[in-house]
Parts: sequence; structure tokens; C-alpha cells
Amino acid sequence: MNQEYAAPISVFRVRLNKLKTFFSLPHNVILVLMSVILTITTVLPIVAIVQDTFKIHQGTIDQFLTKKTSGYTLVNYVDLFTSRLAKTNLWIPLANTLLLAVGTCVVALLFGGIVAFLITRTNLACKRYISSIFIFPYIMPQWTLAVVWQNLFNSNAVTGTSNGLLASLFGLQMPAWWCRGLFPSVMVLGLHYAPFAFTLIGSIFRNMDANLEEAATILDTPRWKILTRITLPMVRPAILSTILLVFGSAMGSYPVPHYLNFTTLATKYVTMNSKYTGEASILAVIMMAFGVSIMIVNQSALKSRKNYTTVSGKSGQISKINLGKVGRHVVAWILIFLTFFVSLFPIVSFAFETFLPNPGDYSFLYTGNTKNLTLKWWMTNENITENGMYGQQGILYNDTIWRAFVGTMVVSVACALLAGSIGTIVGYAVSKRRRTRLANYVNNMAFLPYLMPSIAVGAALFVLFSNERINLFNTFTLLIIAGTIKYIPFASRNVLNSMLQISPEIEESAMIHNISWFKRMGRIIIPLQKNSIISGYMLPFMTCLRELSLFMLLCVQGFILSTTLDYFDEMGLYAFSSGINLILIVTLLITNTVVNVLTGASLDKTAGD
Amino acid sequence: MKKTLSLFLTLALALSFLLLPAPAVQAEESEVDKIIAEAQGMSLEELAKKAIEESNGATFYGVGNSSRGKTALPLFVEYLQTIDPSYKMDFEWQQPKNNKIFDQLTADSLKKTGTFTMTLIQDGNQIQSKMVEPGILKTFIPKDWADANETTAEEYKGFLPLQTLNKVFMYNTTGEKKYMNCWDFVAEGEHGLYMDIDSEIVGKNFLYMLTREDYSTWLKEAFDELSDEQKAYIQPTIDEMAGETDALGLEEVSKYGLAWIKLWVESYNPVTDDGPICNTLVDKSATDQFGLLVYSKLRSVEESDSVSRNNVQVAAYNDGYKGIGGYGYKHYLFVTKNSPLPWTACAFIAYMTCTKDGFSAWGKDMGGYSANPVVAKETEEEYQHAKGGYEGDENVYDVMNDRGYDWWVDQGKLVLEDPEYCASVAFTVGSWIELLDKYSGK
Repeated sequence: MNQEYAAPISVFRVRLNKLKTFFSLPHNVILVLMSVILTITTVLPIVAIVQDTFKIHQGTIDQFLTKKTSGYTLVNYVDLFTSRLAKTNLWIPLANTLLLAVGTCVVALLFGGIVAFLITRTNLACKRYISSIFIFPYIMPQWTLAVVWQNLFNSNAVTGTSNGLLASLFGLQMPAWWCRGLFPSVMVLGLHYAPFAFTLIGSIFRNMDANLEEAATILDTPRWKILTRITLPMVRPAILSTILLVFGSAMGSYPVPHYLNFTTLATKYVTMNSKYTGEASILAVIMMAFGVSIMIVNQSALKSRKNYTTVSGKSGQISKINLGKVGRHVVAWILIFLTFFVSLFPIVSFAFETFLPNPGDYSFLYTGNTKNLTLKWWMTNENITENGMYGQQGILYNDTIWRAFVGTMVVSVACALLAGSIGTIVGYAVSKRRRTRLANYVNNMAFLPYLMPSIAVGAALFVLFSNERINLFNTFTLLIIAGTIKYIPFASRNVLNSMLQISPEIEESAMIHNISWFKRMGRIIIPLQKNSIISGYMLPFMTCLRELSLFMLLCVQGFILSTTLDYFDEMGLYAFSSGINLILIVTLLITNTVVNVLTGASLDKTAGD
Repeated sequence: MKKTLSLFLTLALALSFLLLPAPAVQAEESEVDKIIAEAQGMSLEELAKKAIEESNGATFYGVGNSSRGKTALPLFVEYLQTIDPSYKMDFEWQQPKNNKIFDQLTADSLKKTGTFTMTLIQDGNQIQSKMVEPGILKTFIPKDWADANETTAEEYKGFLPLQTLNKVFMYNTTGEKKYMNCWDFVAEGEHGLYMDIDSEIVGKNFLYMLTREDYSTWLKEAFDELSDEQKAYIQPTIDEMAGETDALGLEEVSKYGLAWIKLWVESYNPVTDDGPICNTLVDKSATDQFGLLVYSKLRSVEESDSVSRNNVQVAAYNDGYKGIGGYGYKHYLFVTKNSPLPWTACAFIAYMTCTKDGFSAWGKDMGGYSANPVVAKETEEEYQHAKGGYEGDENVYDVMNDRGYDWWVDQGKLVLEDPEYCASVAFTVGSWIELLDKYSGK
């Protein structure tokens, strides 16, 4: 009797004790909290956009086909998949999107990975300069490289526009496939995301324990074998992360294919949205489905992945490949030449553009006549429509630009702090409970928004937060929510990758000495992975500064700088857009320097040395 | 994985409940409707006094397809200050791109009190189906405007137009090529510069209009003037289109419209805005290039060693030119249904449509024609666009001498947008257009 009565109590106590034990560990508390929060922030937008695919939208094809002004229907699916326009509206953009995403990954990985390797694992000359300059394309909005591409390669004979620089100065006419479509889009996006691969892969290279490579060298293993059997497997998690992040980003890129005349799901979403609103939402859902698929691939890759502890606390030596006395300079100069065109040339051309009398009017270059230069784009301080000002004041006096700058700073700082902090603790907690269901779930929920193309997430959040109940359209709150959700993976992946390199013994030895969690974090974990954690804050900040695809549906044009920049680019007022680019670049450089001075870390240092 | 999926789906179901639309509210006359009804019986000065009461010290948010709303607003504030010198109002003017204005207005309309006070908007087709039918935008007819057009607010049916704008065929003249017939623009090897029809839907409306019987007839007449050699390239397309007219519910003569559209869509070079088109054409390197763009963009050109307004010509100004010379579309004015400053919106609309000064943001340049005949006349007297290219007595930039609205409609053969017709073919001709292969470079 007593035993019967006592049994349930003991079970309850056992469970309670288990629960207490479970929650006594900080990383478990983090995981439980985050599983709830991240589920809501991830699932709700998906539900909203899926629901929109069934909705009848006034003034669009679904109203025309159903003859109803409201309600729900399947007609959007039927029309998108079976109408005469299915090939134009769905299959071609889908195929193009996949080609673009894969091509971008290849270019980014090759360019970024090779440079990261050269910087961290060889005795290359001018490392500091190259690693600093290499991140510039990532700092700049992605479509600015597309604009530079056009300005360089367009020609009257091929693209039917006025001549670009190469055609004007050398009569060089590049073929159409070079000027528009898949190739330039892949190159521009690949170059834009190469710093991403450079940072992630370089971070691993830099922290890598050289014992294995040294052992192989002692055993007289050929270089290529060391590279393929030891080095590459060690950086495989970073390569996989890069692919996952770049694939999703490239898929959802709107401005680059838009400027370079390449039809993808993202550009199709925008063009279809006015007349085929529900069908456009289906395109967004398809893009999201790819995000989920990538996550599943990642999941299975994780399952099969071996441990890649690279920071053991036992060796800090990194063996460097000797490129030779001449080789180290030749390779450096090749890189300096390449990075000049993707990093410095755009900045010089932006600055020059702000002094031209008409957009794209390079008369000064041909004539040397200073009358063909002007300060009007900077100095005009009255509201005039003449001389191409369209009622805009000069950059220095332009309220729209400076208000947008403040808006951008508010959004970027808030997103960086929130995404950076949440991502860091998620990364930490997941690394501590790796391979458990809860950790995997939290990791996936945190990562999923990033795998979903920006434009699809933006569309989903627009639908979700622009209704009768909640209307956050054109508010900082909405942009900060969007940015935070989207950029948590920057920090979580970065931190997770780094944490996985830390041998558990380091923290365990502190725990044996009864050192509190906060102290362990503050004195051991964070200092050890300072660069990765800081880049977990810097990457959201930088990305937020010039994010367009995510925010373009959520606010009006003058709200933040990227939408303002896009507006001026679309209008052909390149002096203003170039001026904004300069403002963005200067802001980034100042921020990076301040962070560097205060913490000793900086984005380029994540990879470089 | 199964557990994760089932948890995911359960949550999705639960959360979807939250997203169901709020119960429909019985439509009734709103505060804005009442104010509009009252305002339609008032003079501009009476409206101005109401606006001063309402918006002194406030911020006015406007949104429109024309950047010049930003120029008109300070003039309006100055006007109000002539009645009350202490009056102050801050303002912000948005000009969304890529058809986003409809999304912005729709999103804003869901708020109890909106952000946007009023709008200046183009594309009658979408305005009707997306803005007016759902009650997002409200038409206000100023009394003075109605008087000038010899009508009343009650009698007048339709939206309130501020002006008609013309997009005209323009070409670079630094080469030998001369365009003398509207079919020249779709001849073999031609690639005109044009705002992408997917980003500026009003450009698609131009194409819709070409299938209307009267405009297709203009195209037929122009086609008949071509030489046999020129016809030889185009005729097969016209014959091919003969089979499409029935399927699309069009008249037989519309095959000329469809043929022109097909050749145009498959050849034009898409550009993001009329501004860059203008910048390209006025450059001396753009030899033999042409485009269809807003005429008034020429005002923005600054003369330099490479760039000049004398590097371009308006095709319709050539003696003996045959066929359509361009496209005319309207800018309409509306008060938003949840306008935070409805009296001020009405006063601003009345100021722009009923006074020369109010219209001057557009009126001082050629290519925009006020829908108020009194204002149109005063504007021409003041700015003399017919001699816009003159410096003193010398005709320096002939292309800048605007022949005026009447000339454009009669002799310039301007195709005028008809919102009703556009709406009627948007999903027939419109879908057919989307099937065409767009030009993507040589």
C-alpha cells in the first residue's frame, strides 16, 4: 500500500529532479527558450505567405478567373502550373534561379576559398592589404557591381545603349552573353559573396591545429594529398556553411539579375506581383521550399559529419606554404590587380560619377575640359527641377538621404545587436548539446530564415504584418524584426563553427574548478573565439546597411539608404546613388576601424592575419 | 524528423487562425467621404482656410508617380501663408518605383489613420481595379475645376486628372538615320529604348491601346505608306496576327496593333526609367538610337561637350512623318480613404488643379498639359512652351518647342490611355503579351 502510494511521488520527484538538473545547465535554458521564440518567428511568416497563395486579390488574375473579389481559391496554383504562361512565369525562372545559385556558390567558393588559403596558409606578400581590400565587394550593395559591370562593358553595338568605358576608350565590344544574363549575374554575385567564403573558410584556416598537417609532412606525404585528405576535410564544415548561406542568398537576390536582365524567381516575383499577386506568392513559397530542402540536406550532412576539433589548446603552430621569393610577390600582384577592379575601381567610379554634369556623361575624360565637371550633385541647396536635379537637393543638403542614413543606422545597429547576441548564444548552446534533437531543432529553426531567399522572407513578412490586426508596414519595428530573424544565422553559424573547434576539455576543466557560467563565457569562451563572435555582430550590421531584397517590400523608398539608393539608381540619378554608396563604404570602414581599435578584432582579421 | 514535422504543422495550423482576415465591416460613409462631399462645394480659398485649421504644424506625407509633388508642396505652403503668415507645415513626398505605389497604398489603407494624405497616381487600369473599387482612394472634384470644365462634381464621372503627359518617339540625330513612320521603330534590326513594361505598367497600357480599333486603324494607315521593301519584313507578322484577333476578341484591323506590339516587345531594350533613356539619347555616342520616353525629360539635360539637346529629334516633328507619334497618359489625384489630413488634401488638390502656380511644378516644362483649360491657357501664356527652345529670338533647340496638347492629339497622333479599355483587355491581350519573347540583347 505504502509502496503503491510512494511510487508516483518518487516518479514525480525523479522527473522533477531531472527537470531541475536539465534547467540547471544554462545552455538547456537557452535551447528551450529559443525553440519557442524561433518557431514563432519562422513558422508564422511561412503560414502567412502560404495562406496568401489561396487568397483572391482584387484587380488581379485570380479575381478575373474566379469572378470574385474576395475569398479563397486554388486558381492561382492551377493557372501558374498549367496555363500557357507556365513556362514563362515558372519553369524558366526556376531553372535560371538554380543556375544562378549554383554558379554563384562555385565562383564565391573558388575565389574566396583560394584567397583565404593564400592569406592564411602561405607566405604571400601584402597580406594585410589584400585581406582588407578583399571584403569591399561585400561591403558594397550587390547591385553596384552590376552597375559597374554595365558601365564597363555595355556598348552601342551590342546592348543598344550608349557606350561603356571599354567601348568608348578602346572600341572593345563584349558579346551579349558577357554583358547580360546568366554569366554577368553569376560573376557579380560570386564576387560579391566571395568575401563571405573568404571570412568563413579563412577563420577555420587561421585557427586550424597544424599537428595533423605537420605529421603528414614528416611522413613525406605529397602536398596535394595533405590538401585533399587533411586540409579540405578540416574546412569542410566552413565550405558547407558557405554553400548553404550563399545558395540561399543568391537565390533570393533581386537587384543583380534585375539590372543584368536575367529572369529569376525573385525578379519574376516582383514583375508578377501587381497582376498575379497570388501566383507571385507561390513563387515565394517555392523559394522557401528550397530553403527547407537545403536545411534537410544540411541536416543529413551534419549527421554524417565527423568531429572537426581544430582548436585543441595543445598547438598554436600553423605551417605555412612557401610560395617562393618571386612567387609570393607575383601571386600578390595578381590578387591586387583583381581586387582593384572589384573593390577600388567601383569606389573611384562612384566618386567620379558625382561630378559629372549628366549621368554617364564622360565628356571630361575625352576633352579634359573642367567645364564638363560639376559640384551641383553635392552643393545644390534649393528645390529645383532643372539640370536633372528632379527637385532633389545636393547630397550634402539632401534631407531624404540623411534621414535615410539615420534610419539605416538605427535598423543596422539594432539588428546587429539582436541577431549577434541571439545567434551567439544559440551557437554556443547548440554546440554544447550537439546531436540532441532539441539542439538540432533550434539550430534548424535559427538557420531556416537565412536559407529562405530574402525577397520571399520580405514578401512573407509584408503579408504577415500588413493587415487589419497588425500593421507594421514602413516602421523600424518591422525592419528590425525582419533583419534579426534573417541574420541570426550569421552569428549562430559563425559561432557554432568556432565552438565546435574548441575542445570540450577546456570548459570542463573550468567547470571542475566551479567557475560560473558567466565567468567561463567571459574569460574563456568569448576571448578564445573573439573574432568569430565579433564577426557575428559585424556581418549582420554590414549586411543590414545595404540590404535591399529583404527590405524593399517592407518600407517606402526614403526610409533607409538601400531603398533610397535603389530608387536613385532606377531613376538613373547615378550621382546620388554613387554618393550614397560612398557614404555606406565610409560608414563601414569607420565602424570596422572603431571595432578594431576597441576590441582588436575586425572583419578582415577574421580571415587574415 | 517526423516529430519535428508534426510539431511544425500543428503550429502552422494554430498560427494560421491568427491570420484569418478581420470580419468585414459594413461599408458606410466615412469621415473622409463626408469631408469630400462638403469640400466639393467650396472655393479654393475656403478650402485653404480649412486646411490651415487642420494642418498648421503638422507633417504632410504624399505619395505619387511624379517626383514633382515635392516641388508643388512648398508652393502650396507659401500659398497658405498668404492667408495665414504663421502657417507652417512639414512635408515628405515619396515616389515609389516598380509599381510599388499600389502595394504601399494598400498596406497604408489597412491602418485606422493612414500615413499618406493624398496621392498623385497613374495607370487608370490598376487604379480602377485595385484602388477605387476596394474604396482605398476617393475622388475629390474641386468646384473651380468643375466650373472650368463646364461640369459639376455630381455630373462628372471618372477620376480627377491633373494633367496629360506624353511619351514621344525621340531619336539621336548624330547619324544619318531619320524615322519617318511609326513602323520604322519596329523595323528589322531596330531596338528602341523603353521602360520595361513589367516595371511600369502604364507602358503596357500603351500597348493595350494599340489594339483598339481606332488606333489599329492609324497603324494600318501608316503601314500602307511604307515601301514594298519595308512591308516585306512586317507583312508576315501582320498575317500571323490575323489568327490571334478572334481568340483575343478584337476587331480584324487590330492585327496591325498586335503585329506592332509583337515586333516592339521582341525588339525593345528595357530600361529602368525614362531618365536614363534620355541621358543615353542626348549623348553623341548614341548614334541612330531611339526611344519612347516622357517628353519633359529633356528639361533635365545639361549641355556639355558630349551631351546636347540638339543631338535628338522628336520623330513626330519631322515633316511628312506618318503614324502614331507617342502615347498620352494621365496623372490622377485622389484623397486616401483614411487620410490623416483630408481638408489639406482637398485644398492641395484644388491648388494644383485650379491655379497656374499650383500647376507650375509641371507646367513650367513642356510635355505636361493641365486638365483644367483655364490653367492650361495661363500656363502656356506664362511659360510659352511653343518657343521653349528659343534663347531670345534665336531657335537654339528646336526639339524643345512643344507643339501643344491639341497638336499632339490631332497631328501628332498621340495614343491616349483609356482606363476602361485597358482593364477590359488586361487579362486577354495582356497575357498574350506576356507570352512574347522579350529582347535580351544581340
